[in-house]
Amino acid sequence: MRGLVSLLGPAKVLGAHDDLLLYEYDGAVDTATPDAVVLPESTADVAALARFCHEHAVPIVPRGAGTGLSGGAIPVEGGVVVSFARMARILEIDVPNLRAVVQPGVINLHLSTAVAPDGLYFVPDPSSQKACTLGGNVAENSGGPHTLAYGVTTNHVTGIEIVLSDGTVVRLGGKAIEDEGYDLVGAFVGSEGTLGLVTEITVRLTPLPEDKRTLMAAFPTMDEASETVSAIIAAGIVPSAIEMMDQLATQAVEAAVHAGYPLEAGGILLLEVDGPRDGLDDARARIEEICREHAASEVRVATTALERDRLWAGRKGAFAAMGRLSPDYYVQDGVIPRTRLPDILRLVKDAGARHRLRVANVFHAGDGNLHPLILFDSRLGPDELERAKAAGLEILTACVGAGGSITGEHGVGMEKNCYMPLQFQSSDLAAMRRLKQAFDPDGLMNPGKIFPTPSRCREFAFASTAR
Amino acid sequence: MTASVARTLPADPTECARLLAEAARDRRTVRICGSGTKSYLGNVEATDIELGTGRLAGVIDHVPADLTVTLGAGTRMADVAAALARAGQFLPLDPPHSDGATVGGVIAANSNGFWRARYGGVRDLLIGTRTALADGTIARAGGLVVKNVAGYDLDKVLVGSFGTLGVIVEATLKILPLPEKSDGFVARFERSADAFGVADAAVRGASRVEACVVERSVDGAWRVAVQARGGGPAVERAVRDARREVASRRGHAAELADDIGRMRELPSRAIDGALVRVALPLAASTAFAESAVRLEGFATLVVDAASGVTRVHLIGDDDAVIRDAEALLLAARMVGGAGRIERRAEHLRARLSTWPNRPNGDFLMRRIKDAFDPAGVLEPGRSAFA
Repeated sequence: MRGLVSLLGPAKVLGAHDDLLLYEYDGAVDTATPDAVVLPESTADVAALARFCHEHAVPIVPRGAGTGLSGGAIPVEGGVVVSFARMARILEIDVPNLRAVVQPGVINLHLSTAVAPDGLYFVPDPSSQKACTLGGNVAENSGGPHTLAYGVTTNHVTGIEIVLSDGTVVRLGGKAIEDEGYDLVGAFVGSEGTLGLVTEITVRLTPLPEDKRTLMAAFPTMDEASETVSAIIAAGIVPSAIEMMDQLATQAVEAAVHAGYPLEAGGILLLEVDGPRDGLDDARARIEEICREHAASEVRVATTALERDRLWAGRKGAFAAMGRLSPDYYVQDGVIPRTRLPDILRLVKDAGARHRLRVANVFHAGDGNLHPLILFDSRLGPDELERAKAAGLEILTACVGAGGSITGEHGVGMEKNCYMPLQFQSSDLAAMRRLKQAFDPDGLMNPGKIFPTPSRCREFAFASTAR
Repeated sequence: MTASVARTLPADPTECARLLAEAARDRRTVRICGSGTKSYLGNVEATDIELGTGRLAGVIDHVPADLTVTLGAGTRMADVAAALARAGQFLPLDPPHSDGATVGGVIAANSNGFWRARYGGVRDLLIGTRTALADGTIARAGGLVVKNVAGYDLDKVLVGSFGTLGVIVEATLKILPLPEKSDGFVARFERSADAFGVADAAVRGASRVEACVVERSVDGAWRVAVQARGGGPAVERAVRDARREVASRRGHAAELADDIGRMRELPSRAIDGALVRVALPLAASTAFAESAVRLEGFATLVVDAASGVTRVHLIGDDDAVIRDAEALLLAARMVGGAGRIERRAEHLRARLSTWPNRPNGDFLMRRIKDAFDPAGVLEPGRSAFA
């Protein structure tokens, strides 16, 4: 601690207990208090910090806005939390090359706002985009509703500057579409802070679509809504977003946001098509038709920007609205092939019932990325969270069984690292460890994440052998 | 140098992994071969073993409604196209050597065509792999679903790895419904500014084209080919917008024959001299192209205006070819791009390295290579840093 202060100065280091408490949690359910928090102001600060930590074998845990949903920013093995709050400048907006160069602390939405006058935007739009940082997006390979047609963070990052755990600064990629040699930018994006610290990001900017059509369709049950999703895709339409919500979620959202969703619907789809104006109305009409063929009780098309924003406000505010239903929720992020939506959604419901917990569903149906929000009340005792986690594990097991993944955009973090063996065999994990070894041979970068750890995963290993 | 090369065609992934483990144990070097269309890439020397993926072929899984397909690495792109077309779908990759190339080779060589800006490239479409490694194991990365952040994205590292980390035996890719309509044109201009002006408008405009390519060949004309595919109204709009740009520059737009195919297959034809391939920041293409055509050995230039990937074929006097090729790579670096000598005449191999400059982060690449192939038997000399 004293060493850090003399290295970086007192203004960049927090060590008081009250200050540290602010950094012991993120958007997920786990907590741990850091030994110190550092607020670097430059790449040089980050490199100096990394060298210091390397010398003293201290773990480093990077942190953006702390909105992460898998405990990625939690210092589970102690050490220094590095907050990028002071490295939050947009360094360059390069319109001719359709690129922006940013520091990791820039907030996702701020970038899109800054480039909007040039008719451009940054595509990944996680629900937390008003708060989450681009450094965090790089770490988690964040998605969002509009990634169905346009891809997730990794498809929109062409260059990074990173600091390795020994303090080495490396620039990878740049403004061109690719670099020579192994795709290390691709390896780094989504590595959850376990390979290094990102200190600068070059992102792709995309021309804003000329126009869009936003529709809300209400169905009697989730089955009809799910089948509609497959039917739309099968018809050759790739909307920019297809979001689904069940009745419980709809009720919470309506109470909080008044988006105008019908409360009696068993399932709701929020759909958007965008692009050149020509053909958009054809696509909208075709979607409406498919919805009605699948028993939609109502299809509403937003006719003004205000109406569109209202429909979206419901979706984007859904997680926050859960407070109306329950003091706590545990959200899962499993992915399945979209054709499996109806049966896996039934299974999600059953898992909740088995553990005597309500489950609300608000998710990216178009790419099969579920977000079951398992509602619990921690005031009733620790058993509540345990049951929520047990229900979550059953859901993830089903996702993997359907050929899917335990996480589509929230990351593995410390929340699901014990579940990695559900999806990957030991040879798969060994291959991933080789990459880790190459970037961070001493294992100081965000330890206790992604890979199962013997100490914390013992219980789970026991459970899985017992089955 | 070994006189005889042992050729082997493993029948399944397990046998493939076993063969690699044996080769690593015996320190016998391995070259990996799909259909051999891109064997000119890199600085590869003769190896003890040539491992073919020909028997690891076929459609393993295809669920049309999920828009994904899982393929054996040895499946030829032409066979993939035929199989998917039966379901009204296609794999939106248009690499050079399009018919003969195999899926595994296209991934390992990160071989993209002109559709990249519209649909994404190999790295964007690949969602899962199974790879036989030199320790005899088979590692799976990614999966069958279009969105997946569980663990490291090893798929990305495999794209463009030229077989230096293992043998990709299976791949899952995103696919799309076949577009209902296709239209386009090729326009001819005397001045580069006109061709690039049309291209720029097509690439940055609101209407979305599928391919937009600028070519200059020995006849001295600048051609720009524009193709749009998709729904009827969107295609009509895109082509109408682009034709308007042609007309405003007093150009003449002719119907597309196989112009785009010809431009894409430049690497297949460039068997003499040297073919330089660079990826440039988008706005740097025009100036780069204009200086390339003034080079002594200049023969043909093809610019994918939508992605900034530019190829220059140089021919003639060896010394001039080498000098010009290295100058082009340097020029690409100066504007923030990167590139390679993609192909060169056999007799130039010793004098013209594929990568005269080391890529950024090469020390990390070497560590990754050592971690996956500690015996160094896989594709020695093939890649940028080995």
